[in-house]
Amino acid sequence: MKVNILQWHAVASWTWDAQDETCGICRMAFDGCCPACKLPGDDCPLIWGACNHAFHLHCILKWVNSQTSQAHCPMCRREWQFKG
Amino acid sequence: MADSISSVCNLAILDKLSDGSIEEILESYNGFCAATDTLLNGAGDLSVGPQFLSHVHGLCKHGLESLLRDHFLGALERTFEKNGALKFWRHFEAYDDVSVEEEVFYNALEEISLEKQYQEKCLLILVHALQSYNHGSHDSNDYRVELFAKYQMSVSSVLMATLPRHFPEILHWYFKGRLEELSTIMGGDFPHDDDEDDDDDDDDKDDMDLDDKCKVSYRSGQMEIDECYPQGRFLDNNKLVNNIGKVVRDLRSLGFTSMTEDAYASAIFLFLKAKVHDLAGDDYRISVLESIKGWIQAVPLQFLHALLAYLGDSVSYDSVSSGLKSPLASCPSTFYPGIDTPSEGLVRWQLRLEYFAYETLQDLRITKLFEIIVDYPDSSPAIEDLKQCLEYTGQHSKLVESFISALRYRLLTAGASTNDILHQYVSTIKALRTIDPAGVFLEAVGEPIRDYLRGRKDTIKCIVTMLTDGTGGNPNVSGNTGDSLLEELNRDEENQENAGLDDDFHTDDKQAWINASRWEPDPVEADPLKGSRNRRKVDILGMIVGIIGSKDQLVNEYRVMLAEKLLNKSDYDIDTEIRTLELLKIHFGESSMQKCEIMLNDLIDSKRTNGNIKATITQTSQAGSELGDNGVSMDVFDATIISSNFWPQIQDESLNVPGPVDQLLSDYAKRFNEIKTPRKLLWKKSLGTVKLELQFEDRAVQFVVAPVHAAIIMQFQDQTSWTSKNLAAAIGVPTDILNRRINFWISKGILAESLGADSEDHVFTLMEGMVDSGKNGGTNGSIEDLIVADEEGESSVASVEDQLRKEMTVYEKFILGMLTNFGSMALDRIHNTLKMFCIADPPYDKTLQQLQSFLTGLVSEEKLELRDGMYFLKK
Ligand SMILES: [Zn+2]
Ligand SMILES: [Zn+2]
Ligand SMILES: [Zn+2]
Repeated sequence: MKVNILQWHAVASWTWDAQDETCGICRMAFDGCCPACKLPGDDCPLIWGACNHAFHLHCILKWVNSQTSQAHCPMCRREWQFKG
Repeated sequence: MADSISSVCNLAILDKLSDGSIEEILESYNGFCAATDTLLNGAGDLSVGPQFLSHVHGLCKHGLESLLRDHFLGALERTFEKNGALKFWRHFEAYDDVSVEEEVFYNALEEISLEKQYQEKCLLILVHALQSYNHGSHDSNDYRVELFAKYQMSVSSVLMATLPRHFPEILHWYFKGRLEELSTIMGGDFPHDDDEDDDDDDDDKDDMDLDDKCKVSYRSGQMEIDECYPQGRFLDNNKLVNNIGKVVRDLRSLGFTSMTEDAYASAIFLFLKAKVHDLAGDDYRISVLESIKGWIQAVPLQFLHALLAYLGDSVSYDSVSSGLKSPLASCPSTFYPGIDTPSEGLVRWQLRLEYFAYETLQDLRITKLFEIIVDYPDSSPAIEDLKQCLEYTGQHSKLVESFISALRYRLLTAGASTNDILHQYVSTIKALRTIDPAGVFLEAVGEPIRDYLRGRKDTIKCIVTMLTDGTGGNPNVSGNTGDSLLEELNRDEENQENAGLDDDFHTDDKQAWINASRWEPDPVEADPLKGSRNRRKVDILGMIVGIIGSKDQLVNEYRVMLAEKLLNKSDYDIDTEIRTLELLKIHFGESSMQKCEIMLNDLIDSKRTNGNIKATITQTSQAGSELGDNGVSMDVFDATIISSNFWPQIQDESLNVPGPVDQLLSDYAKRFNEIKTPRKLLWKKSLGTVKLELQFEDRAVQFVVAPVHAAIIMQFQDQTSWTSKNLAAAIGVPTDILNRRINFWISKGILAESLGADSEDHVFTLMEGMVDSGKNGGTNGSIEDLIVADEEGESSVASVEDQLRKEMTVYEKFILGMLTNFGSMALDRIHNTLKMFCIADPPYDKTLQQLQSFLTGLVSEEKLELRDGMYFLKK
């Protein structure tokens, strides 16, 4: 007997390759989305700072814009720089 | 005589009397008594009249008028008792029962009426005598009225005092017999308008009646008519009605007025009741109300009309006189074909008869409401009838009580499947909202069903299936197949919105019902922005959600079921699921459905990502030489990539997929990571579907299976026999799971199981080259045989059911055979019959509950039907 595979339909889940599970700003799971978004993943990406802390892009942008002077990482208080 | 005198003795008069006067009085009195005697018993001899007259005058002269009147009336009464009443009753003595021959009845009445007439003649002689004495000074009519009234009174009291107990019944039987006769005469042409269309053209129908009636009347030959009279008049000349009229008149004259009316009324009502039962029958697909009304017009009302006309309808023996006319007065011609203006008495009769008919039909339909609702919507005409009846009688509470007890007895039992109960619940709501647009007593009726369903484990699942799945496994649905309940509800709503213009009209009905019912409806929300259309209406979905308690639970169950479907089935249609989700969003709100929306979105996204990855991938294995015999091309591979945070908890079992597939997985994941960095993939290897083809030397068979099944069978390519331990290790699953999953291939006849050296360790062998046992139904050369592997279920409960099912299948043929022979059988009987006859190979050893769950399975496969606790073959 020989088995011919005509179609293989597999299932996977995606996850952000980050150290933490949740966003330090909104406290939502990285694999979920920020409070402003409805769809996770491409529509609500993560962004890393130079300090290697990750946040929802939308969360850190809001944070950065809310700061009057130079923004700092909400986690480690170092000067916030987007990781290049 | 002496006591008569003393009783009227007036001492004051006596004082003034002279001896001569006394002499004269005595003489006159004796003469008067003798003359009275001769007159009353004289067998019609009135020659004593002049003598009588002079004695009366003689007595009157002495102021003894009242004495002579009382004596005369007393003598009349005694004579009537002797010559009238006792003789009358003697006619009926011969009859033990109440069915007295018509002739006997007529003769008795004739005889007593003649006697009474004669006595009235005698009384008239007295009246004349008194008048001639008093002429001028006394209003002559007074004597007549007063004396006849007294006489009538004494006739009635004599008869009542001597009345045999069964006389009222004799009267009843007499009228019953005549009505039956009449109905036979009229019945032949009674319009059976089975076709509802007839209702629209009443005029045509009436014309037709008329023609038919003439034919019948000629044929029957019993009627004294020689030309075709208008319908109403036709009975006036009818000998039968004349006879009845005469009987009623005679009975009335004897003082039996109310007894007579009671008798013919009860005969009419009983007859009407029988007719309603007869017309209503057990066919709920036709409306019978019009036929019943038609019959009332055609038989009892015609009869009453003729009777009242014969009696000179002016006699109104119903004490109430009121404005009852109004409902009919507006359109008398339609209601009384051929009768120009119905008398008030007739109108009142019509109201009584119709009320009674409505009530009778209503009671009949209420006792069968369960069946009617099972047949809904085919039974809509019966529901419509019931609605009209209830609007008339206002006895909605009867329906509630009766239906609830039917539900408890018939539906809310262990034998009914949750699906059946749910569908009956929905049918109940649909059917009853016609009757009860405000849903007021639906609340009461629904409560026991909801309570019962809350106790069932599979209720939520069944509800979700019913709402979202058009095929829902419901054998009762007629039409609309393939349409989910949600779709149907949505369509209804759209239709209602489009039909907004009609709504004012219905509001009146609703108001009429609310007024008529004794139930207190919930207060209507008074929102000026909303039109009357948005008033409270029966919310089917709300009533369904009400079973579960909260929409969240329902949404959650839907999510789990959706996940199951999306991950483990290959035969879902994404567009249908999106449509269902849209409908759910309408009813439950967008935010409730957000997770489900993301799930569906994942499916759509996955398609895009698949295309993307497959277009740009550099397949490691393709570069090498591994894509040999066992190689799998990326072309046949695709993946569903889920956002696991939004999916229900997924049970991923460990599994070693075959090497080439594993290579594909890692190639795919690597490319994903490149494209979507920094996102990566985590495979859930036991999930998904595999379509594969087993190629034997002489045949090829296709299957759609779970990855674990694929992994199992692929191991048999190189090695045709495995022990369960070794095989479990090879594919990386626990032995017990392997043993369960491998059953699929055994049931298809691809693998065979045998005991190995170690009794714990089974041996599975590939059945290559075996002659097709028929198990997989594939004939030689057929390679199109596509079999979908049923998901065997994660929980051990499901596998127990599967096991039972397999064992019970042996008896299926037997059960179907029994039902072919017996038509229908109850659960107990099937069970006992199996116990009696299946005593070997293999003996039947299942419990009643096991049998029931098996039969429920057959019902859901539409092989059987379950109605009223009886199983039938599904036609
Ligand atoms: Zn965030
Ligand atoms: Zn966002
Ligand atoms: Zn930081």
